[in-house]
Amino acid sequence: MDRRSGAIVLILGLFLAVGGPARADDPQFTLVIKEHRFEPPELQVPAGVKLRLLVKNEDPTPEEFESTELHREKVVPPGQQILVIVGPLDAGTYPFFGDFHHDTAQGKLIAK
Amino acid sequence: MIAVAIIVFREVLEASLIVSIVLAASKGTPRRGLWVTGGIALGVLGACIVAGFAAEIAQAVAGMGQELFNAAILFAAVGMLGWHNVWMGRHGKEMAMEASALGREVAAGARPLYALASVVGIAVLREGSETVLFLYGLAAAGSGGLVNLVGGGAIGIAGGAIVGAGLYLGLLRIPSRYLFSVTSWMILLLAAGLASQGAFFLNQADVLPALGNQIWDTSWLLSEDSVPGRVLHVLIGYVARPEGIQLVFWAATVIILLALMRWFSTAPTRAVTRAAVIISLVSAGVVLAQAAHADFTIHPPIVEYQEFEVEHNGSYTFDPNPANKHNETGTLELGYGVLPWWGTEVEFAWSRAANDPPRRLDEINWENTFELTDQGAYWLDPGIFAEIGKSARVGNSDHFEIGPTLQKEWGNTVHVLNLLLAHGFGPNNDTKSVDFNYAWQSLWTLRQEFKPGFEIFGDAGELDRIRGIRDQQLRAGPVVYGKVGLGSALGELKYGIGYLFGLTHATEKGALKWNLEWEKVF
Repeated sequence: MDRRSGAIVLILGLFLAVGGPARADDPQFTLVIKEHRFEPPELQVPAGVKLRLLVKNEDPTPEEFESTELHREKVVPPGQQILVIVGPLDAGTYPFFGDFHHDTAQGKLIAK
Repeated sequence: MIAVAIIVFREVLEASLIVSIVLAASKGTPRRGLWVTGGIALGVLGACIVAGFAAEIAQAVAGMGQELFNAAILFAAVGMLGWHNVWMGRHGKEMAMEASALGREVAAGARPLYALASVVGIAVLREGSETVLFLYGLAAAGSGGLVNLVGGGAIGIAGGAIVGAGLYLGLLRIPSRYLFSVTSWMILLLAAGLASQGAFFLNQADVLPALGNQIWDTSWLLSEDSVPGRVLHVLIGYVARPEGIQLVFWAATVIILLALMRWFSTAPTRAVTRAAVIISLVSAGVVLAQAAHADFTIHPPIVEYQEFEVEHNGSYTFDPNPANKHNETGTLELGYGVLPWWGTEVEFAWSRAANDPPRRLDEINWENTFELTDQGAYWLDPGIFAEIGKSARVGNSDHFEIGPTLQKEWGNTVHVLNLLLAHGFGPNNDTKSVDFNYAWQSLWTLRQEFKPGFEIFGDAGELDRIRGIRDQQLRAGPVVYGKVGLGSALGELKYGIGYLFGLTHATEKGALKWNLEWEKVF
């Protein structure tokens, strides 16, 4: 290893340094959690752009908005709303669920 | 009750596995029970506090408080685990060499147990706060009553603890002289997995780019929701659909920690370290394109030490479409094997497009090949190829390109695989995406002068939006290489020629490629 690893770490570091910053003027969508269900259960969103998802929890109990496809997991305290930034997405279907109520809290984003 | 138990079990499982690794790693250290118990207790307390302030945390930092909090404590845990391993790398041998049992105990007592205890605390806090929120939610909703809640919670916690205890007892069966190296590897992988989770949250907070939403998808093979999937998620950072940035953090953690462990170590373990570096670099490479210049060149992981070379590569395309009818590319390269494991080349690349006839210099590239192990030392010869390119044309972007290059010799055949990631930068760069391209070469050494075989060159395009295979570039076809010695004073000449068929509609119909090279050791 010795100096090799040094050189390699440097190169990887260079790669890490070249990332893209974020933008804030992206299209916004709202999801409401009510009686452990998402409303609307299916949300049509544009593909290829960053999106802001507002998730409002109108239940008196906490929920966790989670999606393995979208790589997101975020707790939504009771009566609160949270912001989830997703995308840019390829066209397709992205299921999400409420981690504390799997049986009812199911929904999907449809990116077109 | 079962539904409650399952959710609680899932959360407890992760923390419980981490506690077992820490317990096994600190076996034989005085007062470790106290430290670990303290860590768990503080973790439970912290979990309740975090759950209690969930709303405040969620609204903090423009709504990104949860993500940043999670990332911060995850990276704190990574730092603690790293510190523990570096310390053990430095002092572990001294401890083992203490002649008396008392001396060993005194030396072991100096171990940074607070580092491990805080990792236990963080793990319990993270998973515990979700459990607390979940159980609080059930209690608040009054669903199912106290029996449901307490019973389910207890079964879940017991289940998680049993799996953790199983891992701990399994680890204890490892003979003492290997236990330390096994647990330090486990801690290294645990740290890499936590760093990858930290990157996940920083991406969710929109601080880091994803570098590809889903580099691969192995959910059909092992779902992260299954118990084995979750166990591997903790132990090695397994993710069924990883983002590029997660792989970068995973690999960078392994590499940086190994480098630190080695630099501060008194007694390195060479072969294993190398093996791990290779594994992590290969996975990093699979992550880390927009090759501005398609030169159809294979980069083997072999460095010819002290050898000077002058090389020309060229290609000429054929296509019914006038835009691609007769495109021409060419390079002139000067290279030298500076060290036994580092070869470097400067490449001048030019092209002439059918619809833009003047032949012009496109870019100047600095190419580097790092040989990771001595040729033939292992089953596979691994290397890293890295290139920085400066555009010579107005309006074009500069680029980095990096990735693993692997070679396998099998009888008298040689096979090379390149996996390269390219990333544009500079004032004219208009894409943030990473481009992935790959190449394969198989040659059959009939004689040194005549080695027939085939090559494949693919470019998957931008990782952010991988298109169907029809819209990717893919070429494959027969090639012949060979070399002729000119005597020790004059070095040797190498040649190569081939024809690549375009296999997708995004690729031209066919391309002739050639290569000429003169090499001499100085």
